[in-house]
Amino acid sequence: MDAKSPPTPAELTILIAGAVMLVGSFFSFAGSTNAWGTFLFPLATLLPLYGVLMAAQIAVTKFAELRLPGRIAGFSWEQAHLVIGLLAGLMALGWLFTDIANKGIGYWLEVLGGIVIASGAIALQHERNAGPIR
Amino acid sequence: MTAKVSPPNIVILAAGVVMLVGSFLSFYGYHSIFSHQSFSFSAWSSAEHFGLFGIATVAVLCGVVMATQIAIAAFAKGVTLPSNVLGLSWDQIHLALGFQAAILMFAFLARDSGGASLGIGFWLMFLAGIALLVGAILRVTFATAK
Repeated sequence: MDAKSPPTPAELTILIAGAVMLVGSFFSFAGSTNAWGTFLFPLATLLPLYGVLMAAQIAVTKFAELRLPGRIAGFSWEQAHLVIGLLAGLMALGWLFTDIANKGIGYWLEVLGGIVIASGAIALQHERNAGPIR
Repeated sequence: MTAKVSPPNIVILAAGVVMLVGSFLSFYGYHSIFSHQSFSFSAWSSAEHFGLFGIATVAVLCGVVMATQIAIAAFAKGVTLPSNVLGLSWDQIHLALGFQAAILMFAFLARDSGGASLGIGFWLMFLAGIALLVGAILRVTFATAK
């Protein structure tokens, strides 16, 4: 990954989705409670945390030009993005089918962000030729 | 993999079964002071806005997928699973799913359940979530030690 080049479409997708998920976490998720509020924290907070984690990794390597270790817990960064992105997507789908009342704008931003960040992670593997997804 | 199942895989297999069984037992329970009735909800319940179906079921799904992969690899004769999926080895997939199951169950433990008590189903799923993560870590450790 070239730190000096502008962000690729997949990296931009992850950056934007992560930012949207972070901002969305402060808007109403269920009723007037946001993802950090009582009854929802830390369950609904996992989704924005995954998004922020992925966006932060892209941001620090792209803009702060920080050199991170090549692998983390046996995963390459592309694999880590894929795993976290797919888990975020799975949770987003889970929230889509759950029974919480009065779904707010924060809820929809989280669900949408989770699905978009999963597709961004898949696209990242494709862009970097890091896996079988071509 | 032959029919001889390694200790980490036994842990995952057992935890997956416990996770599935626990998901049908009481996850949350509460006693209504108005109707003097007791209510209980499993991980598959979609009532009372507890957010169980859809979220607690993700943890169940993780456990079932992990246990099923091990069961197929160990006991299903003539069935060969691909060595990796989407560029991830099975050890990595187990690690990711085990982490997700454990973190979700810890999140349910930490969450304010609004007066509802945690039932036997929750505690079985909680222990199974930890066991799934431990089993996945042990799988990697065993593979590295070989």
